[in-house]
Amino acid sequence: MTDWIKENGRSIFRGGRNSFADAVRIAEECGLFSEDCEDELVCDDEVSCYNCRYRRWTEKSFECIKR
Amino acid sequence: MKMFVCIDDTDNYDSIGTGELLENMMGEAAIKGLSKAGFTVRYQLYIHDDIPYTSHNSSMCCSAETGDREVFTEFCEKYLEENSADGSDPGLCILTDDSSFDYSALIEFGKRAQCEVLTKSDAYKAAEGFGDGLHLSEHGGTGGGIIGALAGAALRAGKEEGRIKGKIQPLPNKSEWTLSEFASVFGVQRFIDEDGNEITDNLSIRFVHPTKLLYSKGLITGVIVNENGQFMPKPKIKKNKEKKQ
Repeated sequence: MTDWIKENGRSIFRGGRNSFADAVRIAEECGLFSEDCEDELVCDDEVSCYNCRYRRWTEKSFECIKR
Repeated sequence: MKMFVCIDDTDNYDSIGTGELLENMMGEAAIKGLSKAGFTVRYQLYIHDDIPYTSHNSSMCCSAETGDREVFTEFCEKYLEENSADGSDPGLCILTDDSSFDYSALIEFGKRAQCEVLTKSDAYKAAEGFGDGLHLSEHGGTGGGIIGALAGAALRAGKEEGRIKGKIQPLPNKSEWTLSEFASVFGVQRFIDEDGNEITDNLSIRFVHPTKLLYSKGLITGVIVNENGQFMPKPKIKKNKEKKQ
């Protein structure tokens, strides 16, 4: 199963806001990860989609704006 | 004159964040002798598909003092126009900090911005009646940043809870503290536990992980957690519990 749900051309992370291991795996494989500013970091893994400036939070998950 | 200064929607995905831009703006204003800034509070606003935020829809508001509000305001307007990111929709709010003011209409607007989709006209309507006490201006794009800027200033004026920008780092040669020592060194005015209960005992704590402070009930507040019988300031960011299993 893919990690992403396609919605109106957007890529929404299937794992929601608490799939930490998956968010780390994807970010490590991504190559486009860029850490957000300190006040917006949310987990103690430095490289994680949850800490990336290219994630746009949605109510239940986030959208990757680079996909 | 005391005031709250809040800007919003100044960034894009590749620029510095709005909080950093606010600090830069206030730093430059201080160098020019226009103002002196206090700490900045981050407020989380509503996450909804119909709101054109960049990535997290937060609003940053700092307290400040100025001797000449008109000159300070002109400086901020020019700064935003010259330094906001391409494609952004910057808004500026400068709100007088005066304990005799009735902020209730603004606070209601701020709270609504945390749970519903609002428009620019909602913002201008909420701002009515404040006269010279409130400056609200658009600086490019759709100017939609006035919504978050007004909300942030309103929530700050209402002493609503938010996170204080930045973090406190442990000191290299001291890990054992009492709360009174910690308060004195880091300017903390109040301590609570994770459930929000006030801590009044002068607990012994271990401070070895960076922590963030809250602005709560109008006071700089530290959150103390108990991990395996050891009291400590709440670590800055969420632990990855999945990996530890």
